[in-house]
This record gives sequence, structure tokens and C-alpha cells, in this order.
Amino acid sequence: MIVLVLSAIVSTTNTLRPLMNELPHRNDAERFQQLAQQLLLNEGAPPNWGSLRDVVPESLGLANAASSLPYQLDIDKVSRLNSQNIYSLSYSQLWQSLGVSDVSFRIEIKTLFNLSTTLISTTRRVNETTYQFDAYAEKSGTPVLARLHGYVVVRDYVSSFASSTSSNGHSSISVTIPNSVNGTAILLTFAKAESNPQIVAFNVYTFSHNSSEPLPNRTFTRLNPLNYVLNVTFTYPSEEVLKALVFTYNYNFSLNEKSRSAQTAEYDIPRLLDASPTLLVITGLNASSSFAEWVSYPQLPLEIGADFDQSDNGAKTISFSHIMTINSALYEIVTKWGRSS
Amino acid sequence: MGTFILKMISNNKGQIRTIEAFLAISVMFSVLVLTAPMSSTPDFEKQGTLKKLGTNVLIELDNNGTLGRLIEGGNWTILKQSMDLLLPTGVFYNLTVYDENLQRVNTQEVSNTNQQGLEAVVIQYLCVTQSSDTRFYTIQLQLAWPQ
Repeated sequence: MIVLVLSAIVSTTNTLRPLMNELPHRNDAERFQQLAQQLLLNEGAPPNWGSLRDVVPESLGLANAASSLPYQLDIDKVSRLNSQNIYSLSYSQLWQSLGVSDVSFRIEIKTLFNLSTTLISTTRRVNETTYQFDAYAEKSGTPVLARLHGYVVVRDYVSSFASSTSSNGHSSISVTIPNSVNGTAILLTFAKAESNPQIVAFNVYTFSHNSSEPLPNRTFTRLNPLNYVLNVTFTYPSEEVLKALVFTYNYNFSLNEKSRSAQTAEYDIPRLLDASPTLLVITGLNASSSFAEWVSYPQLPLEIGADFDQSDNGAKTISFSHIMTINSALYEIVTKWGRSS
Repeated sequence: MGTFILKMISNNKGQIRTIEAFLAISVMFSVLVLTAPMSSTPDFEKQGTLKKLGTNVLIELDNNGTLGRLIEGGNWTILKQSMDLLLPTGVFYNLTVYDENLQRVNTQEVSNTNQQGLEAVVIQYLCVTQSSDTRFYTIQLQLAWPQ
């Protein structure tokens, strides 16, 4: 009898152990799911904290207060998560605004597929130079059928091109630039998925046109888009702006200068009704060398938060994938959650 | 007489042993019966995540009428390509569209798997078209993680 009762106890324990181990995680999963919903479906406080450059939100929420639809994120709240923006919030500030002391989190926002461009060949002629690029659209190695529209910018020269990817995801892009201009050139390419015009990816490729190799982006300026104003901070006081431009899949315009001082300038960003990320480009001169620098609005891709890959406390991390809209275009948002050590 | 009493005691011992054995078996049986449903606990975390993700994807696809237009136009390939891009890599899906009479509408598979027996979650979504003759479609989206 004793043996039988003991074996019953042992078998009960063994059977229930996985369930007992799972219970706290299940509670965590539900709690983290609710926190993710709170972060993405609530606007936070104050509701327009994203556009108020000096305001740290009392309550963290990324939803667009002006939208009645769910899953709409605020372009400025997202941009303030990017550490490259001078108005960005630190993870510590975000964590305090979330107000849940025993939880760490991470936010990653990116386009739904990737677009890359590679310079294949350069053909120089007397008056102009032709650059041949290969564009590749893919998601996790699977080719994406997409329509391409893009622009090339050198100093105050702008031209556009259009193309589309074939079934292998590749497309050939050819741009011709007159030799009368020289300096850092920027190739801006937007790819719109054939299946859904709200799914857009972009790529920026910088190369030299009749000049020395271009320096990395953000060498000459810091571009900080917020509240439909582009704040430009100059690295060197002698810099001169040649062009300030805005690009989306369908449109491109010059930006109107709002204010200017020796160290900074501000430009109004138009509210374009285009399901597309916005790319902002500044071309200019520093002494005799020309530069061309860019930033996207919303400022993507971004990753902010706890580095769960480096944490070794054995805590379980749960990640959630979401599809959200920012200015009519769709993006993938991954939130990762874990207990603070 | 003495022999008879000894026999009776011996018989009672046998009955007690039999009752004991029955009790033990019933204890074991109850344990198995009570714990069997608990031992195969479904992964609530993954199921909850998939349900929210599926609903999220369908709402986003429908928020400007794209979903209704694709169904009305019978653009099943385009719908499949959209789902391929909207869902994270590795998530299996199978989408079926039914009309108001619960007749299947999609003439092609809108799916990225033919695997059977996956532990899937089912999301039901009502899509209303934005065309002049408003139509209702019930969308059944099955989602599963690879096992």
C-alpha cells in the first residue's frame, strides 16, 4: 500500500512539474502581452509628448493621438526612440515612463522587407558618367516583387529613376550624372511591394562623383527631424548649405528654411500624403569639399532598450511581433520583454 | 473450534488485502485521470501571441479597404504575397474566405504550408467591402509555429 501511494505521489509530482514550472511564465507572458499592447495602443501622457522636444512622458505610449484607428504609431514618438536624434529619450527615461520597475524591454522598428543596392559599374564619358546599380529586395532571403522609384542627388543636381524587381528580387538601376557637377552623390531608392502599396522599404547608397571618397553620414551635420521640422546642427561653422530636400516614393521637394544661425538651421518638412517613409537630404560645402547627408523620418531603423542577448540571469525573454502603421506605411515592430534582474 | 476461528481470521486478512489493493488501484487511477488533461498543456504564450498577431495583420490589411478589394477581385496570389510580407518569417498560415452563405470563396490556396497536425490557432475576422454593393466575408486565418 505504502509503495503504491508513494508511487502515486511521485507520478503526480512528475506530471504536474512542467505545469507548475510553466505557471509563472504564463503569468509573465500575459503580463508582457498587456504591456506591449499598452505601449503600442496607448498614446501616453501628455498625448502629444512626441512633438514636444523637451518633454519626457509621464506615461509611455507610442500610439498616434490624432488617429482613431488602432495600430497607428506617432511619427515623432518613434523618432524620439532613435538615439541619433538629439531629442531622443534614453532607455532609462523610457523605462521610468513605462513605470513597471521589475520589467526590462526592448523595441525594434524596421521596414517589412529589406532593400539593398550595390554599385556594379561606372562608365565615364566626356560630359557625363553612368552608374549601374543592382537593387535587391528580399525578406529573410525570399525575393520580393517590388516597384522601385528613386533619386540621385549631387550638390543641387537631382534626377529620378523608376524600375521594378524581377522574380529573383533583383533589379538593374542606371543613373547618369553630368560631369559639370562633382562631389558626394546619394542614391535614394524606395521599393513598394507589388502586393501592397503600404509596404515600402528604402535604401540610401552614398558614392563619389568626380571627387574623393565620401565621408560617413553625420560627419558634417546632425539631422534631427521632429514635429515636421528638420533641425540641422553643423559640425563646422564654415559649412554652407546648397540644398535641403525631401523625398518620398512619389514626391520630392525643396525644403523651406525656417531659421538659420552659425551652428544650426531649421527647415519645414511638408506633410505629404504618401504611403512612404520620408528621406531628408542636405547637400552643402565645407571649404572646398562637398557633402551630402541624409536622415529618414520616421528615423529608422531603430533598436532601443535592454540587451537581452548579453543578459545572463537566465530570465525568460518573450518577444512579440506587431505590424503598425506610421504615416500610411506599414512597419514591423518587435517588442522584447523580460524580468529585470 | 480453534481451527475454525483461525480460518476466519485468515479469510478476513484476505478480504482486507483485497480492499487495500482496490483502494491503491483507485488512488493510482484517480491520479492518472485527474492529471492527464494537465500533462498536455497547450502553449498558451505562443497561442496568445499568434492570435494577437493574426488579428493585428488582418486589421492592418483591412484598414484602407485593401483586404475587401483583393477578395472581390479574386486576387489570391496578391493576398498570399501580402500575408507572406506581413507575417514574421517562420509562421505558418492558412487563410480561407467564406461568403455570407458560408461558402468558400477563395479558388486558390492562400497558405504557406501543407503541413498537417500543427497546433494552430484560428482567428475569425469579418471583412466588409467598401464597394457600392457592400458585401460581408468571413475570414478564417489559421496560424501555427513550426514544431
